[in-house]
Amino acid sequence: MAQIPVQTIHRDPQLFYWILFPITAVMILTGILRHYATILMATAPKKLDKKTMREQRSLLHGISVRGSFHVLSKKSFATRRDALTTAYESGAYLKDPERRGQAPPNPMSDPSSMEGMMGMMKNQMAMIIPNTLIMSWINAFFSGYVIMKLPFPLTIKFKSMLQAGVATKDMDPRWMSSISWYFLCFFGLQSVFNFLLGNDNAASQMAQQMNQMGPPGGAQMFGPGVDPDKQFLAEAENLAVIEHYSVLDGVEQRLLDSIVV
Amino acid sequence: MPTERDFQISPVVQDSVVHNSRTLINLQSLTASLFGVGAGILGLESYYGFLFYIICSVLTTLLFYVVRVAPTSIPSGKAAFDTSRYYRSPYEFWTGGLLNGLAGFILTWTLFYGLVRA
Repeated sequence: MAQIPVQTIHRDPQLFYWILFPITAVMILTGILRHYATILMATAPKKLDKKTMREQRSLLHGISVRGSFHVLSKKSFATRRDALTTAYESGAYLKDPERRGQAPPNPMSDPSSMEGMMGMMKNQMAMIIPNTLIMSWINAFFSGYVIMKLPFPLTIKFKSMLQAGVATKDMDPRWMSSISWYFLCFFGLQSVFNFLLGNDNAASQMAQQMNQMGPPGGAQMFGPGVDPDKQFLAEAENLAVIEHYSVLDGVEQRLLDSIVV
Repeated sequence: MPTERDFQISPVVQDSVVHNSRTLINLQSLTASLFGVGAGILGLESYYGFLFYIICSVLTTLLFYVVRVAPTSIPSGKAAFDTSRYYRSPYEFWTGGLLNGLAGFILTWTLFYGLVRA
């Protein structure tokens, strides 16, 4: 089989100064800007009134008692369980006890829940707008240039992705255009941001997308449209079925076992 | 095999686990970018570049073990190369870094390969 000759393309070295460095610099700077914009736009958690706070905290109390019953003695667990179950079932902790049993209000009509959605919208916008802008900027100014060669071979399938705007049929897919350099920056700059901005930065789009996959439990639990009465009843049931044991059961034996004479 | 009860008797603090793995990921993503610089300047191509990356990142993890993990984990009665004092699973410790740093490695590798070999 004949050896395929290596393609060489003579490129103007000015391409590096006028395409590669601008794109890289813009990507890094937008990342930093996005990080600080997210910090500035973050709204402080809204102050809850006393009744709402009591409703949420008492449910959390039940969950913690259920989660760490093993550190309580049998008697004190039973006391807590009885008190919580009674209060849950009678609805003593509810925000407005007279609305018990009615359907939860429509989440769209509640102004307090709109605020949470606005926050999510803002984050989404902070991600989408710069990306769209940069993409169209690169497409408008830098399309059609071949700037670099990848150091590893790729199959022909990647050609349409890497060489968008360069309609040359026989060119090796290793050559890449400016838009593919943008994608490389998009995925690979996380470590640069880690270095510049600290670990839990908001600069990278990748990290934000990860966060959206799993919504935090707290927001979901007390979110709009959830009936707190039903949550209380479910929690009371959960507490009732726990079979209590303590970590101190048989501790004397464990202590004696651990002593080596 | 530890049961649920054993975890309750000697609990694992979630924050510390997160902190430990975050420290490791930080180191790995930073070094991966630097290995990319190295591979680009050396002009490595295709398999040799990836091989260079795998060897270097395993070496980094090994050094991390020797410098940071071993001095306290071996006196506490763990066997050599046992990271269970600080990390959940050995796979996370030894191979987790390969994927974390790959994107950063390819970025800097391509950049410096392009700059040096033009």
